[in-house]
Amino acid sequence: MSEQLAGGSPPASQGDEVAVVYAGDYVNKLSGQRIERECLTRLEHGCRALVISFRDTELVNSIGVSILLGVIDVAERRGARVAFSNVSMHTVKLFELLGLTRLVVLAEDEEVALSTLKEFARAPGSGGH
Amino acid sequence: MPPKSPRPRRIIAHAPPESFVGRAEPLREITGLASPKAGRQGVILLAAPRSGASELLRQSFDELFRQRGGAAPVYFAFTRDDAASTAAARRFLHTFLTQTIAHRRDDSALVSASPTLRALLELAAPSDYEWVERLIQSFERAADEGDERALVRLCFGAPQQAAARGVRTVVMLDDVHVAESLRGEVALGHAVADAAAESGAPFVLAGLRRRMLDLVSGAAQHAGLDSLRKLHLDRLKETDARALLEGLAERYGVPVSEETRDLAVQQLEARPYLLNSVVEAAVASGSSLNSFRDFQSLYVDELLGGRVGRRFGAVLAELAPSPPLRRNLLRVMHESASVAGGKSPVEVWMKRLGADVVEFERMMRLAHVHELASFHATFVETTPGPVWRDFLNASYRLQVAVEPRALVVADTLVEMLKRAPRTMARHYRREAALNLGGLMSRFNTEEIPASLLHYDRFARMYRGVVREEVQSGLETETDSVRLPQIVHAASCASFHPPMLQFCDEERCAVAHGLEGGGYAEAEDVVWIAAEVESKLEAGRALTELWLDRLEQVAASCGFGRVRLWLVSREGFTAEAAELLSEREAYGSCREQLELLSARLGLAGEGVENGPADEFAIELPMGEDTELVAAHTVEQIARRMEFQPEDINKIKHALIEACINASEHSLSTERKIYNRFRVEGDKLVITVSSRGLSAPTAAPENGFSPDKNGSDAGAKGRRGWGLKLIRTLMDDVEFERVDDGTRLRMTKYLRK
Repeated sequence: MSEQLAGGSPPASQGDEVAVVYAGDYVNKLSGQRIERECLTRLEHGCRALVISFRDTELVNSIGVSILLGVIDVAERRGARVAFSNVSMHTVKLFELLGLTRLVVLAEDEEVALSTLKEFARAPGSGGH
Repeated sequence: MPPKSPRPRRIIAHAPPESFVGRAEPLREITGLASPKAGRQGVILLAAPRSGASELLRQSFDELFRQRGGAAPVYFAFTRDDAASTAAARRFLHTFLTQTIAHRRDDSALVSASPTLRALLELAAPSDYEWVERLIQSFERAADEGDERALVRLCFGAPQQAAARGVRTVVMLDDVHVAESLRGEVALGHAVADAAAESGAPFVLAGLRRRMLDLVSGAAQHAGLDSLRKLHLDRLKETDARALLEGLAERYGVPVSEETRDLAVQQLEARPYLLNSVVEAAVASGSSLNSFRDFQSLYVDELLGGRVGRRFGAVLAELAPSPPLRRNLLRVMHESASVAGGKSPVEVWMKRLGADVVEFERMMRLAHVHELASFHATFVETTPGPVWRDFLNASYRLQVAVEPRALVVADTLVEMLKRAPRTMARHYRREAALNLGGLMSRFNTEEIPASLLHYDRFARMYRGVVREEVQSGLETETDSVRLPQIVHAASCASFHPPMLQFCDEERCAVAHGLEGGGYAEAEDVVWIAAEVESKLEAGRALTELWLDRLEQVAASCGFGRVRLWLVSREGFTAEAAELLSEREAYGSCREQLELLSARLGLAGEGVENGPADEFAIELPMGEDTELVAAHTVEQIARRMEFQPEDINKIKHALIEACINASEHSLSTERKIYNRFRVEGDKLVITVSSRGLSAPTAAPENGFSPDKNGSDAGAKGRRGWGLKLIRTLMDDVEFERVDDGTRLRMTKYLRK
């Protein structure tokens, strides 16, 4: 497992099955694209589950949401699972409104997200939702 | 977005209904006359010059005309072009029949046509044929007989004839003050008033207020009119005047800046006629109203040769038909206006004009009616209206001093430009004034904590204390002051004009009242209050200067018992407070004044200017600048005590609105304009940007993400902004304006 900050973080190492990516305080187009790049890199390196932590996130705009949806899309196609953790109440409502909560696991914090996704990653032949 | 209803058609109104602002109440009153419940009521419309009364009546006509099946509206304006009362009467009959038949046929084109009476008869509905024919025959007979009285009575009695046949009309007679100046053996003003009062149908008599007042309750009083509803029409409220100017500018495609708009409203006294004139002049000359210079150029042109100048010129020509007399009148008026206070004895005017008593009285009465001067029994006072004064100055130089026109134009333009910042500064000062006169006028023997009138005590007890604690402290104070019962309050300058040298009119007030006991045993008292300008606590010397000034006012005016009260925003130094105490004067700071105002139930009525209610920021597009807007609105929403959840919603909606503005406008200036307005229990946010609206790359989206195919999915994931905003806010209006887009969002406060 490796933990990555969205943007400016050390390169992802190969072989980790579950990765945590940290969103910044404002998820907009630019920071969303950083998250996306990081997530895609992890997936390309064989990661089977991604936790995106919103612990520092105050706001997510609709462009950010659309990019997150793209990440979920790609992850799904590659048989990987995505969890969102530490999401503020307001952002949860936004995600609910835009239908994201149907597509990801929502976890209270990273620990819970990791343990949920580890189970998934260990499960043989698991994929899809 | 609901489908737009078609624009109501204009018939005789000059402005489209949506551009007619600030007159909703009188419009409702006049159109309400058509209701069968209104019976045969009449309305007297007392209009200040250039207040837009004619347009109000024309708008009323259009609105009533559009209400099919109701009473038929009839609009008729007296004009000097008729020359004789019989001509006006004939024209009235023709207008009455044309407009009534047009309404009953629902044929608005007929209103502006001029069919002969016989042609009108052919157009009349079968149910109207008989009474219209009888009326026309009676008219032709009276005209043949040459009986002027009978003709006038018959023509103005037409509404009565129609009412007798069950045809309901609302007759609106405009410029009634002109009627009496028409030649003929019939006093037309009275004949019209008689006919209206006896018509059995609702009617409106409109005209210049000073003459209409005479007609209703003055020298020319008419018995049937004094009990009627009276509507007063004066200048617009400043907000309405700004909206009017903006609307006109938009309609005619005249670029206007906010600064110039505000100057125009101030300089043109928020008068609809003048605002219209300047915009129309801008259209005619292809000018803009983007700068003070643009506006002042148009204004000077209007004064010296445009519609405004011609209108004043026509009134002057009516007052003094012969050129020598007119020149004399200009000279006397100009010189009188230059005297402080603008007042001169009647004898001086008469002598200088060289007119006999009859001619002088006629002239002065007309000047009074047109509000160019106030004519009283013993003196004449030139009206201080700035536009009239500007016209007077320029006309005096051109026609009396015979200066070259180019020089007068140049000087006037330079003077106007120099005056513009002063005009605006004066406006800002007036807006910022504490309205001491208004506050004192509400005194009614209340007992208030003494600390509210003694700054030293207040500072000792409450300085640095939060407002809630101050209020609780005031409740427990035992030392109190009983306020007088104020019966009259006015500016100090209206008692003692020299005070204008020292302060703006609204910053010093005199209030007459009674102290103690019932009316019989109460003692007269005069409170003189002044707002002292000082950025810090006012010092002893300044305080002494003001106390001396106010005592001088009291002495000059012969006031007996006097109470002086000084108000300085930041209060007074210890030495100044000591002086106030020695001279038994009161002294308060702004906070004391606000607390006093709140105790008298006047919070928000001028004395307390209240918290700032509008904030505006301009953001460059891009670089996450929407966060700046979000943080700003967060502060405002917190001040309003919105719940944290709602604050998040507001921030988010604003972010989406800013993104929307950035993404969907082909703006060359790349700016987003945000306005946050606190309106009672709601926060109204306006986000606008200039530029063309770009075609949206993605269709408006539903909330379910589309995950079929990458490209379609990517497109499907965008375009949520507006829908999100609608979910997050309570009211959302999105509109494309001529030069960009505007989004208005409202969130209501729920505690």
